[in-house]
Amino acid sequence: MKCMRKILLSTISMVAVASNAAAKDELNALVWCDHTDPALIEPFETEHNVKVNLREYEGTGAALALLEQSRPGDWDVLVIDGIDVFRAVEAGILAPLAVDELPTADFFPEVVMAENNSVDGVTYAVTEKFGYNTVSYNSSKVDQSDMEDLSTIWSDKYNGRISIYDYYLPVMGLAAIAEGIPTAKIGSGDLDQIGDVLSIMRSNAASVAGVVAAQTALATGEVDIVVGGGEWLTAVLAGERPELTWTIPKEGAVRWAQSIGVVEGSKNSDLAMKFINYIVSPEGQARLATSSCFWGMPANAKAGDILTDDQKAVLRWNQQPDYLALTQLYPAPDADLDAEMQDLWLETLQQ
Amino acid sequence: MGWGFVAPALLWTMAFFVLPFVVMGAMSLATMKGRTLIWDLSLANYLELAEKAYLWRAIVVSLEITLTVTLVSIILAYPLAWIIAFRVPKHWQRLALLLSILPFWTSYVVRSYAWLLVLAREGMVNNTLISLGLIGNPITIANTRFATVTGFVHFFVMLLTLTIYANLVQLSPNYRRAAMDLGATALQTFRHVILPLTLPGVVTGAFLTFVLCIGDYVTPQILGGNTELTVPQVIMVQLGRRADFPLASALALVLMGIVSLA
Amino acid sequence: MMRALPWIYLLVAFVFIYLPVAALVLFSFQSGTLPVPPFNGPSLQWYGEILSDDDLMAALRNSVAVAFGSSAAAVILGFFAAYGLARYVLPGSALIRGILIAPLTVSYLIVGLGLLIVLTRSGFVLSLLTAAIGHVVINLPLAFAIIYASMGSQQQNAERAARDLGAGEVQVIWLVTVPILLPSIAAAFFLSVTLSWDEFIIAFLLTRFDVSLPVEIWSLLRSGLSPRLNAIGSFVFLISITVVLFLEIFVFRRNRQ
Repeated sequence: MKCMRKILLSTISMVAVASNAAAKDELNALVWCDHTDPALIEPFETEHNVKVNLREYEGTGAALALLEQSRPGDWDVLVIDGIDVFRAVEAGILAPLAVDELPTADFFPEVVMAENNSVDGVTYAVTEKFGYNTVSYNSSKVDQSDMEDLSTIWSDKYNGRISIYDYYLPVMGLAAIAEGIPTAKIGSGDLDQIGDVLSIMRSNAASVAGVVAAQTALATGEVDIVVGGGEWLTAVLAGERPELTWTIPKEGAVRWAQSIGVVEGSKNSDLAMKFINYIVSPEGQARLATSSCFWGMPANAKAGDILTDDQKAVLRWNQQPDYLALTQLYPAPDADLDAEMQDLWLETLQQ
Repeated sequence: MGWGFVAPALLWTMAFFVLPFVVMGAMSLATMKGRTLIWDLSLANYLELAEKAYLWRAIVVSLEITLTVTLVSIILAYPLAWIIAFRVPKHWQRLALLLSILPFWTSYVVRSYAWLLVLAREGMVNNTLISLGLIGNPITIANTRFATVTGFVHFFVMLLTLTIYANLVQLSPNYRRAAMDLGATALQTFRHVILPLTLPGVVTGAFLTFVLCIGDYVTPQILGGNTELTVPQVIMVQLGRRADFPLASALALVLMGIVSLA
Repeated sequence: MMRALPWIYLLVAFVFIYLPVAALVLFSFQSGTLPVPPFNGPSLQWYGEILSDDDLMAALRNSVAVAFGSSAAAVILGFFAAYGLARYVLPGSALIRGILIAPLTVSYLIVGLGLLIVLTRSGFVLSLLTAAIGHVVINLPLAFAIIYASMGSQQQNAERAARDLGAGEVQVIWLVTVPILLPSIAAAFFLSVTLSWDEFIIAFLLTRFDVSLPVEIWSLLRSGLSPRLNAIGSFVFLISITVVLFLEIFVFRRNRQ
């Protein structure tokens, strides 16, 4: 009996303690995993004496669904794929952003991407980070020259040594580029061709993997090539395993960009704006660029003053102008084409 | 008066289990067009299930994996339970049992991940096989169906050992003694006496394994390499990428249906 | 040879069972950022990291709270339902039993999905409470089944005797039924705590910011390859073994005397 009572009492007290959160201002952010690095969040929390609550999400669809089911005021900040900003705006999720208060003049010009971040002339989000979906590989196990040409990256020569990054948009974009189809021009009619390329990729692949699974596979030697990988995948490992690297083939590759914005109905829009200001400031950018989940190029070029030379070398800082010119944006299909592409992706995954 | 005792539990189950089920059933009859939910009471989702290869293929994959896992787990767990129940001295039995289920208490997620490292090309299994001279080059085990099955079997062998052991220990030793007295060999005793008596327990264990295995998301997601998806993985894809609750609900109900058939 | 066969099997079985645990614990001491071979000298840095990781420690506390809270609720509800059904003859008792046991046959994913749809459409905020509700749903049938199965004539006779001696209903339950059924109540509680503690999918679907340990570990898993995962897994394992051994030595052994 006594132990039963003790258990009940300790349960109640534990629940009480858990729900007794500090009475600070709180910011609720729906983000990608690179924002959960304490090195990024803690300086902001200490400086403004606030608590930043973070929830990671997997795909844009899940984030939009989550936000639509939430009540106004539940969320303050959203990190979202650059090409999906318009979807969030359509769903009434993002609030207009006072972009004049942000140092976009210091950004790399190609990634300001005003067209993606605004609708009808009103800006709703700002780019915070970008990078490439191209190919990551183990330089001690593969022929460097094969990696410079899209057609040889996933050829039979590397059968069983390849992993495909588990995101349909950039990988299908790569397939399109390999066939000479610009990503911006992908239409229903191109899906057959793209599907054929995907089939070849899949037949030579050992797995389809998310971020950590792909990193594990490269690090443990399961695979030597990750299609759709890039600096974001291998930079974190580069310190210990310098042979894990990436490149952009001569046909080009796909460029990803992530944007950040304030959620409509937020009760803390001032604090949200301060947070965004911090994220796009040179210090915030440098930390975000080298965040523990995945690395990427900071949108703000001034972050280059803060990053170390080693970090910049891993990010290929000096080659960025070439890379930016060589790469294309993600495919941006409308709802119907998007559904078709997702179906095609799932079909080829399960051959 | 009796209702007073039963009511709380009953109400809880109705509110938080039965009601969600009904809602999910209704949801499966709706459709998701882009971002909006349309309650059009159609069987469109179920038709989609029958048409799209990746959807019904997932059902086949789930069934194949689950049946394999159930069979292998029982075959491996029964002898283990038997040895603990009848060969290990009484004094040490609980310890032996405890030891055989102790890994239960590493986190399930982490344990699946640990298998990934063990089965890697540069991992323990390959290293051992190579140093024993059994293979020349590392073989790919991780990220395959074999890895998924291994991860599952690992878990269910522990579970089934526990349940089969509980069953075996409850058997009165008189049955064995009687059979022996009548001249049966150990094998005959097993086949004609012990096995039939423990069969109900084994069947219950098998059913439990089946239900838990077919509905599991974590193990195939971590170990399977995502080259063939099981039903729970497809459901999570629908939820994660497209927030397609109607389709997810339909899939969930079909999964339920399969389990009820078992 | 034949005599040794069972022991060989036992050994092989244990090697299989402990293989991932061994890999886990070994590489939690990895000095270096990747938990993959080769193993570089033992280092405690990862344990230091996880113990100072506030999110992880908070998730640990949350898991304990949810496990104990939901198990307590499940056991209480299950006990009373079992008592009511055993003591009184109710119309449709077979149906009631069926409804109470039904969640056992349904995958956790489906239970979680159903609750997610209902709760979010009703405007509830997702939190540890909603996850706990989900855990009660899956543990209640178990608690009920275990306690109901252990109700027998010995206990009913004792109850009858107590009533004859003038005890009120509450006294009968508290002073007679519960003590007799304590082993199965304890077993039900223990089993519920174990299942809830390690449960992933329902907690994943039904929490928002404050998450349980398996969900936090899952986030870690998606945040980059690191021996931190090994460290937290080994850490959890260590705590659990300690608890189990503690129970074994001080509770079970004592009962046998």
